[in-house]
Amino acid sequence: MNTQRIFSDYEVVIGLEVHVHLDTEAKLFTSCPVSYGAEPNTRVSEVCLALPGTLPVISERAVDRAVRAALVTQCKVHPISVFARKHYFYPDLPKGYQISQFEEPLATGGHIEISDPEDASRHLRIGLTRIHIEEDAGKSIHDQALAGSEVTLIDLNRAGVPLIEIVSEPDLRSPEEAVTYLRTLHRILRYVDVSNVDMEKGQFRCDANISLRPHGEVRFGTRTELKNLNSFRSVQSALHAEIIRQAELLEGGGEVVQATMGYDADRDRVFVMRLKENADDYRYFPDPDLIPLRLSPTRIDEIRDSLPELPIERRDRFCNLFGLSTYDAEVITSSRPLADFFEDVLAIGGETADFAKTVSNWIQRDVLGALRDRDLDIETSSLTPDALVELLRMVEVRRVTVKSARDLICELVVSGGNPEDLVEQRGLEAVSDSSILDTVIQEVVSENPDAISSYHAGEEKSLNFLMGQVMRKTKGKAEASTVRTFLIEKLKVGPT
Amino acid sequence: MRDDPGNRPPTAMELQNMLAEGETTSAQLVEDALSRAKVSDDLGIFVSLREDSAIKEAQASDRFRSEKKARSRLEGIPVAIKDNIAIAGEPLGCGSKILDGYISPFSSTAVERLRAFGAIPIGATNMDEFAMGSSTEHSIHGSTRNPWQRDRVPGGSSGGSAAAVAAGVVPIALGSDTGGSIRQPASFCGVVGMKPTYGRISRWGLVAFASSLDQIGPIAHTAEDCALVLDCIGGSDSRDSTCLPSGSTDCYGALNAGLENLVIGLPKEYFQSTGVDAEVLEKVYDAVKHLEEAGAELREISLPHTEYAVSTYYLVATAEASSNLARYDGARYGKRSDAARSLVGMYEGSRSEGFGEEVKRRIFLGTYVLSAGYYDAYYRKAQKVRTLLRRDFEEAFLECDVIATPTCPEVAFPLGSKLDPLAMYLSDVFTVSANLVGVPGVSLPCGFKEGLPIGLQLLGQAGDDAMPLRIAHEYQKTTNFHCAVPPGVAP
Repeated sequence: MNTQRIFSDYEVVIGLEVHVHLDTEAKLFTSCPVSYGAEPNTRVSEVCLALPGTLPVISERAVDRAVRAALVTQCKVHPISVFARKHYFYPDLPKGYQISQFEEPLATGGHIEISDPEDASRHLRIGLTRIHIEEDAGKSIHDQALAGSEVTLIDLNRAGVPLIEIVSEPDLRSPEEAVTYLRTLHRILRYVDVSNVDMEKGQFRCDANISLRPHGEVRFGTRTELKNLNSFRSVQSALHAEIIRQAELLEGGGEVVQATMGYDADRDRVFVMRLKENADDYRYFPDPDLIPLRLSPTRIDEIRDSLPELPIERRDRFCNLFGLSTYDAEVITSSRPLADFFEDVLAIGGETADFAKTVSNWIQRDVLGALRDRDLDIETSSLTPDALVELLRMVEVRRVTVKSARDLICELVVSGGNPEDLVEQRGLEAVSDSSILDTVIQEVVSENPDAISSYHAGEEKSLNFLMGQVMRKTKGKAEASTVRTFLIEKLKVGPT
Repeated sequence: MRDDPGNRPPTAMELQNMLAEGETTSAQLVEDALSRAKVSDDLGIFVSLREDSAIKEAQASDRFRSEKKARSRLEGIPVAIKDNIAIAGEPLGCGSKILDGYISPFSSTAVERLRAFGAIPIGATNMDEFAMGSSTEHSIHGSTRNPWQRDRVPGGSSGGSAAAVAAGVVPIALGSDTGGSIRQPASFCGVVGMKPTYGRISRWGLVAFASSLDQIGPIAHTAEDCALVLDCIGGSDSRDSTCLPSGSTDCYGALNAGLENLVIGLPKEYFQSTGVDAEVLEKVYDAVKHLEEAGAELREISLPHTEYAVSTYYLVATAEASSNLARYDGARYGKRSDAARSLVGMYEGSRSEGFGEEVKRRIFLGTYVLSAGYYDAYYRKAQKVRTLLRRDFEEAFLECDVIATPTCPEVAFPLGSKLDPLAMYLSDVFTVSANLVGVPGVSLPCGFKEGLPIGLQLLGQAGDDAMPLRIAHEYQKTTNFHCAVPPGVAP
């Protein structure tokens, strides 16, 4: 079925549940360390193993991280929240229940702004229903090669790792919006050090609720839940596959059955994991081993004060202060280190709107490209704010050409260094001496009589050809605009 | 009377004096305790003994003493520990097949502190499986017998600990009390048992039955010994979030404050309740009269929601138990069914083979109570009643300093006589409220019926563990019920 047509017939309604590992050294309810990639079952304490007689004690660091997440998403942080036990039997869940929050979560009622994937200049406000704190389970390894077909291995290193679950309102209307929401959330949480959000390590995982309804219908359609979508790409493809499946069902006069679905990325197919009528009864009740989590206004304020400026606030400040466009400011604030770098450059080179605009252009056009090509980011690159300022000054006074500066940026991000020295070593000083340029132009003119004639016959293209020849002879060290002016001047005079 | 303890085995305080005077050594005390444990093997008190390590620890304790470094009044004193309180390196069985072969790699805070103060655990005592029961008949190790009459139950679930003290094996034992599991066996065995304020003693290392109700507590011959133990093991613990801050109670120091100006409340709902043995009631009356003569004032009070306490208790306790016992799944430790060929098979096999009937019954009940559609009607309602009960007590304590009741409606019943679970549950009627409300409660011997001990229960205000102990101490100073010795117990 044609997706275009589905979207014209139906409104797609998506809500996301995102699980985020909090950036803490210890687990949520024991001082046992968190580590990724350690030998299986080497990061387990008596609490992680649920040995008889063990008790949970909440990690204050984890609470701080969770409150940060709530504050940056404009949620109301509740002065009292309650941990509850969620029961199910599975071998990687040692207690037979997961400690989570249920009736009284940490925070409710927030939102984040995302840019509309169909029009980047517009913004959509996506509501957040709630954020609650919970512990992760361990891992079951069914890998045949590792475990053999009759055996499942259990690794409890991850059991008890602190998580928050961020539940959105059903405000998303397309897989693209869902992905944009996820990317935005991913960026924000990393920005304020809530989490390292490394998706490959399972630190940022997503479940999606999705339903379709005819445009104009007020009631929601029957939804399904897609579980364990662990990359942006799989979120997008799984949602697409499920939209098509639901639409085909509805078109064929059938109905969607409430179910939990999985996604097989290899075959790009969704499949039913279990039907709602077989849904577990988790038998939630308040965990009697833990007292209610109390957060005083003072503590919440302290956490708020410790937050860095949010991307959205910084974006607006860059727009207001330096006159950057929203788009430019968004790119510059897409990561905290990049925004810091930008501000450092301005602090050295001058906080004027003109310079800010120049720096923003150079960062977006050249620096980010150079980083991407070499699989670096601004923190891991060797380019310093000082070097960029120096280089841009040299461009400004035409000591180097734009072309040379671009080449130098590629070098600076990898190996660093002082632009002044590099220009000298590489002999990249721009050719601005008119007598040298004159000589070169003279050479080119005399070597290309045909091009000269066709230029005079009105072939504008010949001018470009001649310019190219001059640039080649000066090895890019001449400023194109100067060469052009000189050439035109020369050709007016005619052949000598 | 206190000067003539008769044939009663010595208290910890008395042993401490003997040790201090050089009349005996800790090694001797521990050896004696171990041999008495073996002599009284037919009572089924102990499930495991720490023979070698206890003697070594006793020798070390004797060295501490000879170097004038005795760590406390418990230095060198042998103690018994209920089999649901962890001792590092020792089996921890909870009277259950499902923990068959399980050895705890860590100690409970209570045991850790007892040992830091010099006491020497000699072994683990029998109990109803996972502390679920009032008779110590529901144990994989078989029944414990009441030292006073061997065809009677010792009470439960801390029946082994109460019998260990009554039979003179040790002067002090630790038990746990979720709905009366220390006080009721103390009453049946003619010893003193105390359930402290909820949160007084860390639950770290106590195998959970019902987390919001469970408390560890001491069992001894005297309130004085109980005070010693409580002061030693109580206090805040960073490993238990529900633990109270330290330092609010010095029970031992408050023991001799007397009865002047104290008001003892007698809840009419308890004294007028049907089904209480007349002789039990009479002896309890005698006891409070005795306290009145000694200077206290008696006042009738009301705890109007008492009739709902037992049902509320069984909703809360079973709900929490069904959750706490989910971890015994055969996956990581304890029993795994040999028959299992699948994941579900492992769970079903291990849990059906590993748990006894009473435990299964309570898991079923608790699972039901927490199920979708029943939660509001049962669990949530029970929590509301719990709040009402708490208010009952708060209001009662505006009128009195301590509440006196019978500990149990009857004396120790014959082994195997309560086959109906409901009859067994109803025998907890006077003890469960203290757990639901969190207040401290002491049971102390106050008479006999046909050679079987009767218990007086004193309930204090939450946090004030000293008060009921202080009154019990005054009572014991002028009575000698606690000095009686079960037949056949050698001095």
